Amino acid sequence: MSSTVTVNDVQTFCYGEEFSLLDSMEEHQIPVSYNCRGGYCGSCKVKLTSGKVNWVQDSLVSLEPGEILVCCCVPDGSISLTI
Amino acid sequence: MAYSTFNKVKNDALKEPMFFGQNVNVARYDQQRHPIFEKLIEKQLSFFWRPEEVDLSSDRKDFMAMAEHERHIFLSNLKYQTLLDSVQGRSPNIAFLPVVSLPELETWLETWSFSETVHSRSYTHIIRNVVDDPSIIFDDIVDNPEIVKRAESVTRYYDLFIEMCGQYSLLGEGTHQVDGKEIVVSLSALKRQLYLTVASVNVLEAVRFYVSFACSFAFAERAIMEGNAKVIKLIARDEALHLAGTQHMLNLMGNGQDDPDMVAIAESCKDEVVEIFREAAEQEREWAKYLFKDGSMIGLNAEILSDYVDYITNVRLRGLGFDEIFDIRSNPLPWMNAWLVSDNVQVAPQEAEISSYLVGAIDSNMDDADFDDFDL
Repeated sequence: MSSTVTVNDVQTFCYGEEFSLLDSMEEHQIPVSYNCRGGYCGSCKVKLTSGKVNWVQDSLVSLEPGEILVCCCVPDGSISLTI
Repeated sequence: MAYSTFNKVKNDALKEPMFFGQNVNVARYDQQRHPIFEKLIEKQLSFFWRPEEVDLSSDRKDFMAMAEHERHIFLSNLKYQTLLDSVQGRSPNIAFLPVVSLPELETWLETWSFSETVHSRSYTHIIRNVVDDPSIIFDDIVDNPEIVKRAESVTRYYDLFIEMCGQYSLLGEGTHQVDGKEIVVSLSALKRQLYLTVASVNVLEAVRFYVSFACSFAFAERAIMEGNAKVIKLIARDEALHLAGTQHMLNLMGNGQDDPDMVAIAESCKDEVVEIFREAAEQEREWAKYLFKDGSMIGLNAEILSDYVDYITNVRLRGLGFDEIFDIRSNPLPWMNAWLVSDNVQVAPQEAEISSYLVGAIDSNMDDADFDDFDL
């Protein structure tokens, strides 16, 4: 079953098994800031407003509850994000 | 309280605060109060590199062909980077090790500082390659008033904290007479200075360094000084990790997950921390004017670099949970991203320098259920 990702309540795309949510967002031309792609610079921090994610690499930055790094995770079912 | 290199009191490091608890005794890493520092150590170790791995032979040719004002930009930037890493190669150890109380944080400080010494060695590698007499460059770091001004502002918090820790270690809390002067030593004042010092280190690594990286990468965007940019790319990868470290320290102090006394101290320091960021941004903009005083280069001038100062200051303030202080939302140097990407995560782990790919790792907490997904 494919996962739908909604961004800022206005854009929607289907996650297509890319390595990370960041790769998937880039694939669908959703503008998102990034630097290291390795989970430690914190540039790609966004709010996960609904749904769940699976972490594919460790995050090394401080995250508040509900915050995720899109370079470090993939959707687990449909999700909504606020950038 | 005097420092002990091996504290004889049996203590539980899981209950100690990051700083100003008991001195660390056993260096053990099987358990951590703050596992993030263990992860940072692992990551930093996996990043290990040596400057000599990068071939700089074409840089000398590029440097010779540069206009005089571009050489000024390149060398002044390099001098500033050398200054910053001279400070960082020793200061986390000297300032924070005497008061650290967690083994994982103690080792993170040492690992962090050590990596800065590799950066210092790489500036020597670069300078040796582009000029015949490196002393001219190194001597100017202590002679040039513009650079000396930078040194004063990056070391002020460290130096005061080290002085205060010395008094605390020697005299303890209370009011003392030293050389006819009255000195008041208080742990709460020390903790306040600790918080401000960590904040100023965050500014050094997260704002000041990034402004210098922008200059280094701007040359390589024009396909010159590419060897230098390769070295700086490796340095930038380390610095991203270091700034994550200081952000964690500040956030742990402020959110009550560490020393309960630090929560109120962090709250009371908020305005001053924002001022440290604002002052550093102002100094970096001044520095940009000095760099480009004789002329700009293609792709970068004082104005664009100043915009980047404001942008990166906002980003770092957000990282600490503070409000932005400048009116800039988008990155004026979008090409920086390509230079700051450090983990190429989509290639086969055994074929690339992937830091999270560890061989020989053992997980002793396994049970039969862990094999449920296995099919033969």
